[in-house]
Order: sequence, then structure tokens, then C-alpha cells
Amino acid sequence: MSNLILEVNDVAISFGGVRAVNGATLNVHVDSVTSVIGPNGAGKTTLFNLISGAIKPDSGTILFQGLEIQNLLPHKIADRGIIRTFQGAKVIKRLSVLENLMLGGQDNPGDSLINFFNPKARQAYENASRDRAMELLQQIGIERFAHEYAGILSGGQRKLLDLARALMANPTMLLLDEPFAGVNPTLVEKLLEVLEDLRTKHHLTFLLIEHDLETVMNISDRVIVMAEGKVIADGEPNSIYENQAVIDAYLGTRKASS
Amino acid sequence: MSAIMQPGFWIFILTMSGIYGIFGLGLQVQYGVGGILNFGHVGMMALSSYTMAILVISHGINFWIAAAAGVAVAALGGAFLGLTTLRLRGDYFSIVSIAFSEIVRYVIFNSDNITGGTQGSLAIPPIGDNYPSYTDAWDSILRHVQDFLQPIFGDIVDREFVMAIFIWATLGILLLIISRVERTSWARVLRATREDDEVPAALGKNVFRFRLQAVVIGSIIGGIAGIYWALESSLLSPEDFLTVVTFYGWMILILSGATKVKGLPLAAIFFGFLYGGTRFFTFFPFSLVDSAQRAYIRIMIIGVVLIILMMKRPQGIFGKRQEMVLE
Repeated sequence: MSNLILEVNDVAISFGGVRAVNGATLNVHVDSVTSVIGPNGAGKTTLFNLISGAIKPDSGTILFQGLEIQNLLPHKIADRGIIRTFQGAKVIKRLSVLENLMLGGQDNPGDSLINFFNPKARQAYENASRDRAMELLQQIGIERFAHEYAGILSGGQRKLLDLARALMANPTMLLLDEPFAGVNPTLVEKLLEVLEDLRTKHHLTFLLIEHDLETVMNISDRVIVMAEGKVIADGEPNSIYENQAVIDAYLGTRKASS
Repeated sequence: MSAIMQPGFWIFILTMSGIYGIFGLGLQVQYGVGGILNFGHVGMMALSSYTMAILVISHGINFWIAAAAGVAVAALGGAFLGLTTLRLRGDYFSIVSIAFSEIVRYVIFNSDNITGGTQGSLAIPPIGDNYPSYTDAWDSILRHVQDFLQPIFGDIVDREFVMAIFIWATLGILLLIISRVERTSWARVLRATREDDEVPAALGKNVFRFRLQAVVIGSIIGGIAGIYWALESSLLSPEDFLTVVTFYGWMILILSGATKVKGLPLAAIFFGFLYGGTRFFTFFPFSLVDSAQRAYIRIMIIGVVLIILMMKRPQGIFGKRQEMVLE
């Protein structure tokens, strides 16, 4: 029990007549990398929206570190330590790349208007935050764009920025929605190193949606397979390949070729 | 022609520009930083000026306290508008904000025994046998400053001149404060919210709080403009607070480039000149038409100048074009 950081219990949500998530139950262990896979429209991103509070479930509970979060507003959930990235990467186009990153800083005294009268505290935080942001930009290799508008970045670069911004928030748990789609292979490798480093050194827990099976199998401790709003399989990567329901719903003939 | 040569005319333009500049600065915080389209800004001006006038005339309250109370009521008006409507999508907020300022105006219009109704501040019931004026305290300050400055600068220093100094000093101080506020991380979050709600929320920022604060700050600044408006015109009428006044503020904001404050003073003077200055286009070829026709020509000239400016510099005088066109 104490080993579980996130518990999603029988969660359901409908949009109009469509049950996007239909009684999904899953657990995420502390310090683990858990991947959610499944065909398009399986409810993976909706599940992320539910966990991050962007939408509220019709029924079911979501517990983070043992406390219910399903009725909290998104910023409250982020305060608890769950930070997400977005499918297709969302950057604030009319802020600079550096400002986008600095947006991620938590408990920034400068976010509170009262601290307008406390410039020292604001400045100290800003300086530390800027240093950390530049460091992250170097890691993802886009530091030369630091002072450009994020709107000029390419799709892949936006993805990296989205991920780095989430890291700026010093999360306990990261929800990554297709973090590697559209990123070149060498950079994926580099990112995986960064993530692995975070996991071992900073005890970060990852929940990610990913379509690239090879990556999923390589990095995941557990794989959760969703189809039609339900969890159809949940286990170690290898066991997923054996699962007949998964083969039918998602893997198809690919299994034979791999 | 002669009017343009008079310093008094230019000082009048400065005074009006300053008041509208302060007014526009309120919108700048809301729109330029927060992307909030407030079309009811004039309502804050109405709230502060009438609150101040009523407290002074009907209750004999000290001018400064009354003025502070007026600005506070404008802030409350902004908070009320924000709390009730800011959760709606942006365009709904804009529509409701117009309704808000019109409701304020109609309430003033119809509350004869408090606000003087259609007859304006002259009909606000005074205490005792006093004349219903709220400018006494301010006038004595102006007179003191005038007496002080006149020996130095000569006869050019009249009431209007001192008024212009006060207004521009206020605008200067507010610009300084706001430009600093706009360099804080508070403003950075607010800038993020003008594009997207989800990202800042997912990073732990309470988007609603930031927006509400922006509306309240803008309303406070609008309230300060209202106090100066009341002092400048020395009597108030509900007709002073038509929705078109809000759009004068918008005109300044768009001229200056909405995202930066530094263009605002220049844009305000430019607007002031278009607004007041073109009244005095009595020279050739304008002398060929009579004054009623000139009034229309004036409006047309304002329109043409604005159109040309928007074609040549859509980002405003000091705005950044890139910030407008990024997809």
C-alpha cells in the first residue's frame, strides 16, 4: 500500500454518449516508470486529464500519496507534485523559451503581488530559477533559443521545452503524454538518460503515454494497456507481449515480426 | 488658428491626454499583459468619481478620504465584475463588462436623490446650505502650487497648468510602478494565461487568481483616472461615462502597442491631440466649411489617421510585431 504513489479506482467519464474512460483501475508504484499504451481513442489522454484535474470524473476515486485528488482543481494537483506535459506539446508562444521554463518554478515569491514590495526575495528566486532553466536548456540542446519566442520552435523542440518546463516544477510524479513522438533518436536516447537520472537520484515517478513499443519495453517497469476506456492488461513489459487481449486490441500481427 | 498658438490649448490637451493615459494604463494591465478584453472600464471611472463626489458633497467627508474611497469602490467594482464573469470564456467577459458599465451608468442616472440623476453632480443633495461642489479642497491645493510656481514660470501657470503637472506626475508614477510589476513573475504567469489556461494551471498557477488581480489593478487605475476626471470637469454627469469613453482608452492602448507601457504617454498625447486638437482646425481648407460640418470632418480625420496608423504599424508605436503574429 505504502509502495503505491497513485491509485486510480474504477474511474469513469463520459463525453456526450461516449464513455471515454469506463471504469479504469490502475496503480503506480513509487520510483517506477509506468507506461500506458493502447490504440487511438483508448482513453489514455483522458486518463491523464483526469489525473491532472483538467476534467473531473463522473465516478471513481484517484488517490495520490494516499489522498483523494479527483475533486481538486488542476493547480492544486500540481501543487501536490503531479506535473504533466501535453500531447503535441503546449508552449506559450509569445513568451521566450527561457520564460516558458521559468513559468515552471514552484512557490515563486514573485507570483504573489504582495512580494512586489520584497524585491530581494523575488530576485533571488529569479536568479536561481534562470540558472536552473539555462542548465535544462543545455541538457535538451536548445539553449541558443533561450531568448527567442517559443513560437518559433519546431514541433520536436516544443516537445523538449514542454518536458523541461515540467522538470522545472520539481515534480514528485511526471505525467508525460507522448514525450518522444517526433523527437530524433539521438535526442530520445539523451532524454532517456536524463529521465533515468532523475528517477534514481531524485526519486521521480513517471507515468507516460507512448506509442513507440521498443522504447516502452526498454524503459518501463510496468506497462498498462488500455482499450475502449478500460484497462485490459497490467504487468511487466514481457508479460504484455504474451497477453492475448493485448495482441487482439493493440499489438496485432506486430508481435510476430518483433 | 489662433487657438493652436495659445499655450492654454496645449495644456488642455496635456491634461486630457494625461487622464485618458491613466485610464488606458488600466486597460494595458488587463489586456496587454493578461489578454483580458474589458469593454466596461469606464464603469470604474464612474464608480470612483461619483463615490468621491457624493461622500464630499452629501457627507462632508475629507476630500482625500473620499477620493481613496472612490478608488476602493472602483476596485470592488472590478472584483465584482471579475468574480462573477471571469470564469466565463474571454468573449463573454467582454460582453458582460459592457453591460456592467452601462448598469453603473443607469443606476447613477436613476438614483436622483443620491447622485443627482440626469442633472449630474450639481443636484447631489449637499449638507446644510453648502454649494454642491467637491473640488474645494483640491482647488486650494492647486492654488497653493500655482502661487508657488507663478513667480518662477510666470503667467503661464494657471489652474490648468498645475492640474496637468499633477496628472502627468501621477501617470509617470503609475507607469513606473506598472512597468516594474510587469517585469515580475506575476506578470509572466499572466502573460501565459492570455494564450492558454491549461499550461499555467498544470504548473500549479491559479489562473483565476491572476486574472482577477489584473482586473482589480486595472480598475484601481481606472478609478484614479475617474477622480482626476471629476476634478478636471468640476461637475459630473452620467453622460460623461458612455461606453465610447472605454474605447477612447482602447484607442490609446492600440496606438501605443498593447503589450508595452512605454508607448502609452506618446499615444495618449497623440489621442489627446486628435480628440481635442482637431476641434481647432479652423484654418484653410477647413475654413471653407461651417463649424457643424467641421465637427464631422474632425471625426473623419481621426478615423483616417487611425486607419493609416494601423495599416503601417499594426503593433502600435512601440509594440513588437512578432508578438502579434506568432502562431
